[in-house]
Amino acid sequence: MKLFNSRFEQIAAIVRKDFLIGLRRRATFAAMMMFALTAVASLSLSTGGIFVEEKFLAALLWVVIFFAASAGISGTFDDEAQAGTLPTLKLYADAQAILFGKMIYVFLSLAALTIFILPIFLILFDVAVEKIFLLLMTILLGLIGIAAAGTLTAALTTSATVKGGLFPILLFPITLPIFLPAIRLTEISFAGGVFDISLIVVVAVFDLILITAASILFDYL
Amino acid sequence: MIVFDDVSLSFGRHELFKNLSLNLHSGKVIGITGANGSGKSTFLKLAGKIIRPDSGAVNFPTDKKLAAVAPEMKIYDNLTAEENLFFFAKLRGQTLTAEKIFELGERVGLDMKTFGNVRAENFSTGMRQRLKFAILLSVDADIWLLDEPTANLDDDGREKFFSEIQAAKSDKIILLATNDKAEENICDEIIQLPL
Repeated sequence: MKLFNSRFEQIAAIVRKDFLIGLRRRATFAAMMMFALTAVASLSLSTGGIFVEEKFLAALLWVVIFFAASAGISGTFDDEAQAGTLPTLKLYADAQAILFGKMIYVFLSLAALTIFILPIFLILFDVAVEKIFLLLMTILLGLIGIAAAGTLTAALTTSATVKGGLFPILLFPITLPIFLPAIRLTEISFAGGVFDISLIVVVAVFDLILITAASILFDYL
Repeated sequence: MIVFDDVSLSFGRHELFKNLSLNLHSGKVIGITGANGSGKSTFLKLAGKIIRPDSGAVNFPTDKKLAAVAPEMKIYDNLTAEENLFFFAKLRGQTLTAEKIFELGERVGLDMKTFGNVRAENFSTGMRQRLKFAILLSVDADIWLLDEPTANLDDDGREKFFSEIQAAKSDKIILLATNDKAEENICDEIIQLPL
Protein backbone atom coordinates (compact mmCIF):
# COMPACT_ATOMS: atom_id res chain seq x y z
CA MET A 1 0.00 0.00 0.00
CA LYS A 2 2.88 2.32 0.92
CA LEU A 3 4.58 1.53 -2.42
CA PHE A 4 1.31 2.23 -4.27
CA ASN A 5 0.85 5.57 -2.47
CA SER A 6 4.47 6.52 -3.12
CA ARG A 7 4.19 5.65 -6.82
CA PHE A 8 0.88 7.51 -7.08
CA GLU A 9 2.48 10.59 -5.50
CA GLN A 10 5.37 10.37 -7.95
CA ILE A 11 3.00 10.07 -10.93
CA ALA A 12 0.93 13.04 -9.71
CA ALA A 13 4.09 15.12 -9.19
CA ILE A 14 5.37 14.33 -12.71
CA VAL A 15 2.01 15.17 -14.34
CA ARG A 16 1.81 18.45 -12.40
CA LYS A 17 5.41 19.35 -13.25
CA ASP A 18 4.92 18.59 -16.96
CA PHE A 19 1.78 20.74 -17.11
CA LEU A 20 3.52 23.63 -15.34
CA ILE A 21 6.44 23.47 -17.78
CA GLY A 22 4.15 22.87 -20.79
CA LEU A 23 2.03 25.91 -19.95
CA ARG A 24 5.10 28.08 -19.39
CA ARG A 25 6.87 27.04 -22.59
CA ARG A 26 3.62 26.93 -24.60
CA ALA A 27 5.51 25.71 -27.69
CA THR A 28 4.23 22.12 -27.53
CA PHE A 29 0.59 23.04 -26.95
CA ALA A 30 0.78 25.77 -29.59
CA ALA A 31 2.27 23.33 -32.15
CA MET A 32 -0.48 20.78 -31.55
CA MET A 33 -3.35 23.27 -31.57
CA MET A 34 -2.08 25.21 -34.59
CA PHE A 35 -1.48 22.06 -36.61
CA ALA A 36 -4.99 20.79 -35.85
CA LEU A 37 -6.60 24.16 -36.53
CA THR A 38 -4.72 24.72 -39.79
CA ALA A 39 -5.44 21.20 -41.03
CA VAL A 40 -9.16 21.35 -40.20
CA ALA A 41 -9.58 24.86 -41.63
CA SER A 42 -7.75 24.09 -44.89
CA LEU A 43 -9.57 20.77 -45.37
CA SER A 44 -12.87 22.47 -44.68
CA LEU A 45 -12.15 25.26 -47.17
CA SER A 46 -11.00 22.85 -49.88
CA THR A 47 -14.13 20.71 -49.53
CA GLY A 48 -16.52 23.67 -49.23
CA GLY A 49 -19.84 22.99 -50.96
CA ILE A 50 -18.99 19.35 -51.64
CA PHE A 51 -20.78 16.57 -49.81
CA VAL A 52 -18.21 14.61 -47.83
CA GLU A 53 -19.18 11.14 -46.72
CA GLU A 54 -19.14 10.35 -43.01
CA LYS A 55 -16.52 7.67 -43.66
CA PHE A 56 -14.06 10.30 -44.96
CA LEU A 57 -14.96 12.77 -42.23
CA ALA A 58 -14.25 10.14 -39.59
CA ALA A 59 -10.90 9.34 -41.21
CA LEU A 60 -10.06 13.06 -41.50
CA LEU A 61 -10.76 13.62 -37.81
CA TRP A 62 -8.40 10.81 -36.77
CA VAL A 63 -5.71 11.86 -39.26
CA VAL A 64 -5.79 15.38 -37.78
CA ILE A 65 -5.63 14.01 -34.22
CA PHE A 66 -2.78 11.62 -35.16
CA PHE A 67 -0.52 14.23 -36.74
CA ALA A 68 -1.31 16.92 -34.16
CA ALA A 69 -0.53 14.36 -31.47
CA SER A 70 2.74 13.48 -33.23
CA ALA A 71 3.75 17.14 -33.13
CA GLY A 72 3.18 17.25 -29.37
CA ILE A 73 4.13 13.83 -28.07
CA SER A 74 7.49 13.39 -29.80
CA GLY A 75 9.19 15.73 -27.34
CA THR A 76 7.81 14.00 -24.24
CA PHE A 77 11.19 12.57 -23.28
CA ASP A 78 13.41 14.35 -25.78
CA ASP A 79 12.76 17.79 -24.26
CA GLU A 80 13.95 16.46 -20.90
CA ALA A 81 16.95 14.76 -22.51
CA GLN A 82 17.91 18.01 -24.30
CA ALA A 83 17.54 20.02 -21.09
CA GLY A 84 19.64 17.48 -19.17
CA THR A 85 16.87 16.81 -16.65
CA LEU A 86 16.12 13.22 -17.73
CA PRO A 87 19.05 11.69 -15.76
CA THR A 88 17.93 13.63 -12.66
CA LEU A 89 14.32 12.49 -13.09
CA LYS A 90 15.43 8.87 -13.55
CA LEU A 91 17.57 9.05 -10.42
CA TYR A 92 14.82 10.35 -8.15
CA ALA A 93 11.70 8.70 -9.59
CA ASP A 94 10.70 5.12 -10.14
CA ALA A 95 10.79 4.12 -13.85
CA GLN A 96 7.14 3.05 -13.87
CA ALA A 97 6.10 6.33 -12.24
CA ILE A 98 7.95 8.24 -14.98
CA LEU A 99 6.22 6.19 -17.70
CA PHE A 100 2.72 6.55 -16.27
CA GLY A 101 3.25 10.19 -15.30
CA LYS A 102 4.27 10.99 -18.86
CA MET A 103 1.47 8.82 -20.30
CA ILE A 104 -1.19 10.60 -18.23
CA TYR A 105 0.26 13.99 -19.17
CA VAL A 106 0.18 13.03 -22.87
CA PHE A 107 -3.40 11.74 -22.54
CA LEU A 108 -4.57 14.96 -20.84
CA SER A 109 -2.79 17.06 -23.50
CA LEU A 110 -4.52 15.06 -26.24
CA ALA A 111 -7.85 15.41 -24.44
CA ALA A 112 -7.33 19.20 -24.33
CA LEU A 113 -6.45 19.16 -28.04
CA THR A 114 -9.60 17.17 -28.85
CA ILE A 115 -11.83 19.40 -26.74
CA PHE A 116 -10.41 22.33 -28.72
CA ILE A 117 -10.57 20.85 -32.21
CA LEU A 118 -13.68 18.61 -32.15
CA PRO A 119 -16.32 21.39 -31.95
CA ILE A 120 -14.46 23.33 -34.68
CA PHE A 121 -14.34 20.20 -36.84
CA LEU A 122 -18.06 19.48 -36.35
CA ILE A 123 -19.03 23.08 -37.14
CA LEU A 124 -16.77 23.56 -40.16
CA PHE A 125 -17.79 20.23 -41.74
CA ASP A 126 -21.42 20.68 -40.67
CA VAL A 127 -21.54 17.28 -39.00
CA ALA A 128 -24.64 16.31 -37.05
CA VAL A 129 -23.55 13.72 -34.51
CA GLU A 130 -26.15 10.97 -34.24
CA LYS A 131 -24.55 9.06 -31.37
CA ILE A 132 -22.70 11.49 -29.12
CA PHE A 133 -21.98 8.95 -26.37
CA LEU A 134 -20.44 6.55 -28.89
CA LEU A 135 -18.31 9.36 -30.31
CA LEU A 136 -17.03 10.37 -26.87
CA MET A 137 -16.34 6.75 -25.91
CA THR A 138 -14.46 6.16 -29.18
CA ILE A 139 -12.36 9.31 -28.74
CA LEU A 140 -11.59 8.43 -25.11
CA LEU A 141 -10.40 4.93 -25.99
CA GLY A 142 -8.53 6.14 -29.08
CA LEU A 143 -6.68 8.83 -27.12
CA ILE A 144 -5.70 6.33 -24.41
CA GLY A 145 -4.15 4.14 -27.12
CA ILE A 146 -2.32 7.03 -28.79
CA ALA A 147 -1.04 8.21 -25.37
CA ALA A 148 0.27 4.74 -24.48
CA ALA A 149 1.86 4.08 -27.88
CA GLY A 150 3.12 7.67 -28.19
CA THR A 151 4.77 7.71 -24.77
CA LEU A 152 6.56 4.43 -25.44
CA THR A 153 7.62 5.56 -28.94
CA ALA A 154 8.84 8.90 -27.56
CA ALA A 155 10.96 7.02 -25.00
CA LEU A 156 12.33 4.73 -27.73
CA THR A 157 13.28 7.57 -30.07
CA THR A 158 14.92 9.78 -27.41
CA SER A 159 18.34 8.33 -28.08
CA ALA A 160 17.90 8.21 -31.88
CA THR A 161 19.81 10.75 -33.94
CA VAL A 162 16.98 11.37 -36.46
CA LYS A 163 13.97 11.80 -34.20
CA GLY A 164 11.66 14.03 -36.24
CA GLY A 165 10.85 11.60 -39.02
CA LEU A 166 11.26 8.47 -36.95
CA PHE A 167 8.53 9.20 -34.43
CA PRO A 168 5.45 9.18 -36.74
CA ILE A 169 6.94 6.31 -38.77
CA LEU A 170 7.14 4.16 -35.64
CA LEU A 171 3.91 5.42 -34.11
CA PHE A 172 1.68 4.82 -37.13
CA PRO A 173 1.92 1.01 -37.38
CA ILE A 174 1.58 0.67 -33.60
CA THR A 175 -1.61 2.72 -33.52
CA LEU A 176 -3.14 1.38 -36.74
CA PRO A 177 -5.10 -1.40 -34.96
CA ILE A 178 -6.71 1.38 -32.89
CA PHE A 179 -7.38 3.74 -35.79
CA LEU A 180 -9.22 1.30 -38.03
CA PRO A 181 -12.00 0.40 -35.55
CA ALA A 182 -11.97 3.98 -34.16
CA ILE A 183 -12.62 5.40 -37.64
CA ARG A 184 -15.47 2.92 -38.19
CA LEU A 185 -17.00 3.75 -34.81
CA THR A 186 -16.65 7.49 -35.46
CA GLU A 187 -18.37 7.04 -38.83
CA ILE A 188 -21.29 5.26 -37.13
CA SER A 189 -21.50 7.99 -34.50
CA PHE A 190 -21.78 10.58 -37.32
CA ALA A 191 -24.13 8.66 -39.65
CA GLY A 192 -26.16 6.70 -37.10
CA GLY A 193 -27.16 3.07 -37.44
CA VAL A 194 -26.30 -0.02 -35.46
CA PHE A 195 -22.77 -0.61 -34.30
CA ASP A 196 -20.86 -3.72 -33.41
CA ILE A 197 -19.80 -3.69 -29.74
CA SER A 198 -16.83 -5.87 -30.67
CA LEU A 199 -15.22 -2.80 -32.31
CA ILE A 200 -15.15 -1.03 -28.95
CA VAL A 201 -13.81 -4.18 -27.31
CA VAL A 202 -11.02 -4.36 -29.92
CA VAL A 203 -9.92 -0.77 -29.19
CA ALA A 204 -10.15 -1.29 -25.41
CA VAL A 205 -8.18 -4.55 -25.55
CA PHE A 206 -5.52 -2.99 -27.76
CA ASP A 207 -5.25 -0.06 -25.32
CA LEU A 208 -4.64 -2.56 -22.56
CA ILE A 209 -2.02 -4.40 -24.62
CA LEU A 210 -0.21 -1.13 -25.41
CA ILE A 211 -0.21 0.02 -21.78
CA THR A 212 1.05 -3.38 -20.60
CA ALA A 213 3.72 -3.56 -23.32
CA ALA A 214 4.87 -0.01 -22.52
CA SER A 215 5.10 -0.87 -18.83
CA ILE A 216 7.15 -4.02 -19.50
CA LEU A 217 9.45 -2.48 -22.13
CA PHE A 218 10.10 0.81 -20.34
CA ASP A 219 12.26 -0.83 -17.67
CA TYR A 220 14.70 -1.91 -20.40
CA LEU A 221 15.08 1.54 -22.02
CA MET B 1 27.10 -1.24 1.77
CA ILE B 2 27.76 -1.03 -1.98
CA VAL B 3 29.50 -4.11 -3.35
CA PHE B 4 31.52 -4.08 -6.57
CA ASP B 5 31.82 -7.74 -7.54
CA ASP B 6 34.40 -8.41 -10.26
CA VAL B 7 33.29 -5.39 -12.28
CA SER B 8 34.74 -4.76 -15.74
CA LEU B 9 33.81 -1.94 -18.09
CA SER B 10 35.28 -0.74 -21.37
CA PHE B 11 34.44 2.09 -23.74
CA GLY B 12 35.53 0.85 -27.14
CA ARG B 13 39.13 -0.28 -26.75
CA HIS B 14 39.63 1.75 -23.59
CA GLU B 15 39.41 -0.57 -20.62
CA LEU B 16 38.24 1.57 -17.72
CA PHE B 17 37.75 -1.06 -15.00
CA LYS B 18 38.97 -4.65 -15.01
CA ASN B 19 37.82 -7.19 -12.41
CA LEU B 20 37.21 -4.48 -9.83
CA SER B 21 35.99 -5.84 -6.47
CA LEU B 22 35.49 -3.65 -3.42
CA ASN B 23 33.02 -2.81 -0.67
CA LEU B 24 31.94 0.75 0.08
CA HIS B 25 30.65 1.34 3.62
CA SER B 26 28.51 4.05 5.19
CA GLY B 27 29.80 6.51 7.76
CA LYS B 28 32.62 7.76 5.58
CA VAL B 29 33.17 10.21 2.78
CA ILE B 30 34.90 8.18 0.08
CA GLY B 31 36.82 10.24 -2.44
CA ILE B 32 37.26 8.99 -5.99
CA THR B 33 40.26 10.68 -7.55
CA GLY B 34 42.28 10.31 -10.70
CA ALA B 35 43.30 12.10 -13.85
CA ASN B 36 40.78 13.28 -16.45
CA GLY B 37 39.41 10.24 -18.26
CA SER B 38 40.31 7.83 -15.46
CA GLY B 39 36.63 7.05 -14.91
CA LYS B 40 35.66 8.98 -11.76
CA SER B 41 32.17 9.92 -13.02
CA THR B 42 31.73 6.45 -14.51
CA PHE B 43 32.63 4.92 -11.15
CA LEU B 44 29.82 6.96 -9.54
CA LYS B 45 27.37 5.87 -12.24
CA LEU B 46 28.33 2.24 -11.71
CA ALA B 47 27.99 2.63 -7.94
CA GLY B 48 24.50 4.07 -8.37
CA LYS B 49 23.53 1.43 -10.97
CA ILE B 50 22.90 4.26 -13.42
CA ILE B 51 24.96 2.30 -15.94
CA ARG B 52 25.62 -1.43 -16.05
CA PRO B 53 29.10 -3.00 -16.19
CA ASP B 54 30.12 -5.20 -19.13
CA SER B 55 30.65 -8.02 -16.65
CA GLY B 56 30.40 -8.48 -12.90
CA ALA B 57 27.83 -6.72 -10.77
CA VAL B 58 27.28 -3.79 -8.45
CA ASN B 59 24.90 -4.49 -5.58
CA PHE B 60 23.29 -2.61 -2.75
CA PRO B 61 20.02 -3.27 -0.90
CA THR B 62 17.00 -2.45 -3.07
CA ASP B 63 15.49 -0.19 -0.40
CA LYS B 64 18.49 2.16 -0.47
CA LYS B 65 17.76 5.49 -2.15
CA LEU B 66 20.12 7.65 -4.18
CA ALA B 67 20.65 11.38 -4.44
CA ALA B 68 23.26 13.15 -6.52
CA VAL B 69 24.96 16.39 -7.44
CA ALA B 70 26.62 16.04 -10.83
CA PRO B 71 27.19 18.32 -13.82
CA GLU B 72 25.00 16.24 -16.14
CA MET B 73 22.13 16.13 -13.66
CA LYS B 74 20.28 19.35 -14.33
CA ILE B 75 17.41 20.98 -12.49
CA TYR B 76 14.26 22.27 -14.22
CA ASP B 77 14.96 25.73 -15.62
CA ASN B 78 11.27 26.45 -16.15
CA LEU B 79 10.44 25.80 -12.52
CA THR B 80 11.15 28.16 -9.65
CA ALA B 81 13.61 27.24 -6.89
CA GLU B 82 10.70 26.34 -4.58
CA GLU B 83 8.96 24.28 -7.29
CA ASN B 84 12.18 22.35 -7.97
CA LEU B 85 12.61 21.57 -4.28
CA PHE B 86 8.95 20.65 -3.88
CA PHE B 87 8.97 18.43 -6.99
CA PHE B 88 12.04 16.36 -6.10
CA ALA B 89 10.87 15.93 -2.50
CA LYS B 90 7.47 14.76 -3.79
CA LEU B 91 9.23 12.13 -5.90
CA ARG B 92 10.46 10.70 -2.59
CA GLY B 93 7.00 10.96 -1.01
CA GLN B 94 7.93 14.00 1.09
CA THR B 95 6.06 17.29 1.37
CA LEU B 96 8.16 20.34 2.10
CA THR B 97 6.66 23.13 4.15
CA ALA B 98 7.46 26.79 3.54
CA GLU B 99 9.52 26.77 6.75
CA LYS B 100 11.51 23.76 5.58
CA ILE B 101 12.20 25.38 2.20
CA PHE B 102 13.37 28.54 3.95
CA GLU B 103 15.60 26.49 6.26
CA LEU B 104 17.11 24.58 3.31
CA GLY B 105 17.82 27.90 1.62
CA GLU B 106 19.66 29.12 4.72
CA ARG B 107 21.72 25.93 4.90
CA VAL B 108 22.94 26.27 1.32
CA GLY B 109 23.13 30.05 1.23
CA LEU B 110 20.25 30.68 -1.17
CA ASP B 111 17.82 33.28 0.14
CA MET B 112 14.44 31.69 -0.50
CA LYS B 113 12.52 34.84 0.43
CA THR B 114 14.17 36.61 -2.49
CA PHE B 115 14.82 33.77 -4.91
CA GLY B 116 12.24 31.11 -3.96
CA ASN B 117 9.78 32.26 -6.61
CA VAL B 118 12.40 32.95 -9.28
CA ARG B 119 12.71 30.47 -12.14
CA ALA B 120 16.01 28.58 -12.17
CA GLU B 121 16.68 29.80 -15.74
CA ASN B 122 17.46 33.19 -14.19
CA PHE B 123 19.99 31.79 -11.74
CA SER B 124 23.77 32.03 -12.07
CA THR B 125 25.76 28.78 -12.28
CA GLY B 126 26.68 29.07 -8.61
CA MET B 127 23.06 29.62 -7.56
CA ARG B 128 21.97 26.58 -9.57
CA GLN B 129 24.63 24.57 -7.79
CA ARG B 130 23.30 25.80 -4.44
CA LEU B 131 19.80 24.75 -5.51
CA LYS B 132 21.08 21.28 -6.48
CA PHE B 133 22.74 21.18 -3.07
CA ALA B 134 19.41 22.10 -1.39
CA ILE B 135 17.64 19.32 -3.34
CA LEU B 136 20.31 16.87 -2.17
CA LEU B 137 19.73 17.87 1.46
CA SER B 138 15.94 17.83 1.15
CA VAL B 139 15.36 14.35 -0.26
CA ASP B 140 15.38 11.14 1.68
CA ALA B 141 18.52 9.26 0.53
CA ASP B 142 20.99 6.66 1.80
CA ILE B 143 23.64 7.08 -0.91
CA TRP B 144 25.02 10.40 -2.11
CA LEU B 145 26.84 10.51 -5.44
CA LEU B 146 28.78 13.78 -5.69
CA ASP B 147 30.68 14.64 -8.85
CA GLU B 148 32.84 17.72 -8.34
CA PRO B 149 30.05 19.18 -6.21
CA THR B 150 31.66 22.48 -5.29
CA ALA B 151 33.04 23.29 -8.75
CA ASN B 152 30.92 26.43 -9.19
CA LEU B 153 30.59 27.49 -5.59
CA ASP B 154 32.28 30.44 -3.88
CA ASP B 155 34.15 30.02 -0.58
CA ASP B 156 31.00 30.48 1.50
CA GLY B 157 29.14 27.87 -0.56
CA ARG B 158 32.03 25.41 -0.32
CA GLU B 159 32.23 25.77 3.46
CA LYS B 160 28.51 25.21 3.82
CA PHE B 161 28.74 22.16 1.55
CA PHE B 162 31.66 20.65 3.45
CA SER B 163 30.01 21.08 6.85
CA GLU B 164 26.74 19.53 5.59
CA ILE B 165 28.64 16.54 4.18
CA GLN B 166 30.41 16.01 7.50
CA ALA B 167 27.09 16.25 9.37
CA ALA B 168 25.34 13.81 7.04
CA LYS B 169 27.97 11.10 6.63
CA SER B 170 27.21 9.00 9.72
CA ASP B 171 24.26 7.16 8.16
CA LYS B 172 25.08 7.51 4.47
CA ILE B 173 27.45 6.20 1.86
CA ILE B 174 28.96 9.34 0.36
CA LEU B 175 31.02 9.00 -2.82
CA LEU B 176 32.79 12.15 -3.97
CA ALA B 177 34.51 12.23 -7.36
CA THR B 178 36.99 15.06 -7.43
CA ASN B 179 40.29 16.56 -8.48
CA ASP B 180 39.94 19.42 -6.03
CA LYS B 181 42.34 19.42 -3.06
CA ALA B 182 39.82 21.02 -0.68
CA GLU B 183 37.23 18.37 -1.58
CA GLU B 184 39.85 15.62 -1.16
CA ASN B 185 40.66 16.97 2.30
CA ILE B 186 37.17 16.25 3.63
CA CYS B 187 37.32 12.62 2.48
CA ASP B 188 37.94 9.87 5.03
CA GLU B 189 39.18 7.46 2.40
CA ILE B 190 40.50 7.92 -1.13
CA ILE B 191 40.19 5.55 -4.06
CA GLN B 192 42.77 6.58 -6.63
CA LEU B 193 41.84 5.48 -10.14
CA PRO B 194 44.69 4.76 -12.55
CA LEU B 195 44.49 6.22 -16.07
